[in-house]
Amino acid sequence: MSSPCCGFLAQYTHHHLVAFLLTFFSYVLLHASRKTFSNVKVSISAQWTPSVQNASSPAFSPRETWEKNNLFADSDEATLFLGVLDTIFLFSYAVGLYMSGVIGDRMNLRYVLSFGLCGSAIVEFVFGTLTEWLQFYNIYLYCGLWVLNGLLQSAVWPCVVAVMGNWFGKSGRGFVFGLWSACASVGNILGAFLASSVLKYGYEYAFLVTSVLQFAGGVVVFFGLLTSPKEVGLCLESETSLSPVERDADSHRPLMSDEEDEEEEGEEEGSEEVCDGGYYTIQQGDEEPRETPKAIGFCQAFCLPGVLPYSLAYACLKLVNYSFFFWLPFYLSRNFGWKEAQADRLSVWYDVGGIIGGTIQGLISDCMGKRAPVLAVSLLLAMGALVGYSHSPPDQVVNAALLATTGFFIGGPSNMISSAISADLGRQEALRGSQEALATVTGIVDGTGSIGAAAGQYLVSLIESKLGWMCVFYFFIVMTGGSIVFILPLIVTEIRAMWRDRQARTHQL
Amino acid sequence: KAIVARLGYSLVYKGVVNSSVLCICCPQQQQQVGLCHLCNGTVQNGTAVSQFCSASAGLIDGRCCLLRKENIRDADYIIGLDLSNCSLSRVEDLQDAFSATTIDLSLNPIVNLDDSLFEGFIQLANLILPANLVCPGGNASWDKVKVKGETHFCEGQKDICNQTGYLSLNCPENSLCVPYGPGFFQCSCVDAFRGYKCLREGEFPIIQVFGPLAGSTVLVSILLWLTQRRKAISV
Repeated sequence: MSSPCCGFLAQYTHHHLVAFLLTFFSYVLLHASRKTFSNVKVSISAQWTPSVQNASSPAFSPRETWEKNNLFADSDEATLFLGVLDTIFLFSYAVGLYMSGVIGDRMNLRYVLSFGLCGSAIVEFVFGTLTEWLQFYNIYLYCGLWVLNGLLQSAVWPCVVAVMGNWFGKSGRGFVFGLWSACASVGNILGAFLASSVLKYGYEYAFLVTSVLQFAGGVVVFFGLLTSPKEVGLCLESETSLSPVERDADSHRPLMSDEEDEEEEGEEEGSEEVCDGGYYTIQQGDEEPRETPKAIGFCQAFCLPGVLPYSLAYACLKLVNYSFFFWLPFYLSRNFGWKEAQADRLSVWYDVGGIIGGTIQGLISDCMGKRAPVLAVSLLLAMGALVGYSHSPPDQVVNAALLATTGFFIGGPSNMISSAISADLGRQEALRGSQEALATVTGIVDGTGSIGAAAGQYLVSLIESKLGWMCVFYFFIVMTGGSIVFILPLIVTEIRAMWRDRQARTHQL
Repeated sequence: KAIVARLGYSLVYKGVVNSSVLCICCPQQQQQVGLCHLCNGTVQNGTAVSQFCSASAGLIDGRCCLLRKENIRDADYIIGLDLSNCSLSRVEDLQDAFSATTIDLSLNPIVNLDDSLFEGFIQLANLILPANLVCPGGNASWDKVKVKGETHFCEGQKDICNQTGYLSLNCPENSLCVPYGPGFFQCSCVDAFRGYKCLREGEFPIIQVFGPLAGSTVLVSILLWLTQRRKAISV
């Protein structure tokens, strides 16, 4: 097996780089605005409530400065509502993901992407900035806006994964996607820094800055993004041009097989230079013109091999990942008594671990040609890391190191499933290159993941209030184990294939 | 025509008002015009208010002593108020006289005073009440309290913020205690802090942030369109 690990950068043009960067930064901006909401929660709940005074002392005067806003009676109720907003957002995000993937495969990806970015930016502006400038606070308005925000934001992820899948073929996909899927973590870090530097002027300015940035990103994407090499006449390396003879054995094949790479290298004569979709063929002759790829139906996409197990595994994994992202500063400040600013800065280490994990594990799985075994090993080690982290001493350095390790082992598979593997699933042999399924499949995988994450938000707070933080960590460990269980059939298949290859090679020698 | 706006001083229009109102339980508008003409007569010579008024070169109008501000047309604000011997049984709202230094309510059959009646009266240094009433804010809020016959004299408002042990006056973060009348205080934002609960600091530099942002967005869009999309064929 010749591994295409080295020298693969030569095949990429500046178009590839721009596509990478544009999709990377659009998701960075999206996640930054999501993180902004998490970061300004304290300020928003202060804005919604009157000042707290013990019963005996009179209320502070002047009333306009201290007592005017009465949306919630105290900060506990406000916190509850903020949690409700999070859940509403995640559920509408999940619903939107199922729909947006389908839409993205049928419509121009560029339009959907810019529409999602700009629309979501406008909604966030209205939610955070306009309500504050107009001094209009209303529960139903907030809920409605956040539902709309979830639906609009859900358009972004399937489109960016689809664009990346169009531009980057299978050979370097693991590494490139691993690096690229760092966008969510980079967005978290950017959002944290932006929010903390602007927060002193008022939380409405944090929303203003991130939503204007996001809108600008949508504009740039609209003018600069090429959704696939076909738009400029470039060809993706042939990956769907297997001869029909091999097709029958496809259903028993693992998702990524080495035979295909070997096939590619044998076809140097140029007889297989047909591009996806057949808009640009080097080969003359009797090749029948291929039709425009049809978009796949939702149910068909769901029934593609590998989609269901990976979706369920991702539901468990995203629950753990998102709960960490959401609850970590709260846990750090409650459990160890650290200040919120310190907790925020510490929680960045989890994202850093996730970035490194996604990249390295993507690279390893590329070199191996298999994804599921890499995932399995990483998830097993993640369970150990979670046990270790739950017993972390109150030392900040040790805590940060354990956090980075946990992020490496959990964030890595999470990033891989949501990006590289979704791209694999959406472009697998079973589709025979005649159907556009990438965005739909990505939408399904991430939608299921988001439902898991949404349920998790509520469960984590429930478990924590009844049973304490240790049980929350046990819950995470169980979830991680659950995700291994879901992808077990795929692991078994891929390991068997690897074993078969190794035996075949030793027989050849 | 009786428009009164409280912009730091009260604008009192000299209008003819029904002055036979004995009880101050009238609609706000008439009251605003009529505080100086609430009851018959004018400031008597020899009373505390008239002495104070001549000492500060003020204008007597009905029962008020007004200080005319030269710069602002028709703007007077009340520095002294003499409502003694007015047969008032209740006093509801004296807010128009919030800038008064001397107020005389003696010789009236008032049963009791509202707690919040003198809220905002930061200049009040001399308050004359019927003997049955207590000084607002208690005796501890005044430098000198004496009872002489039928009248009760409260003199010299103490700064409540300076006193230790009076109340535990803890203003929230970013705010300071400022006195706001006898026995009252406000927490007002310090320095550059502003807004609800004094949470916001400084002015957001909108131009400096969004100017370069808009410019770079336009530049990058043009650049990318030229290098990427110009040659795009519609798929």
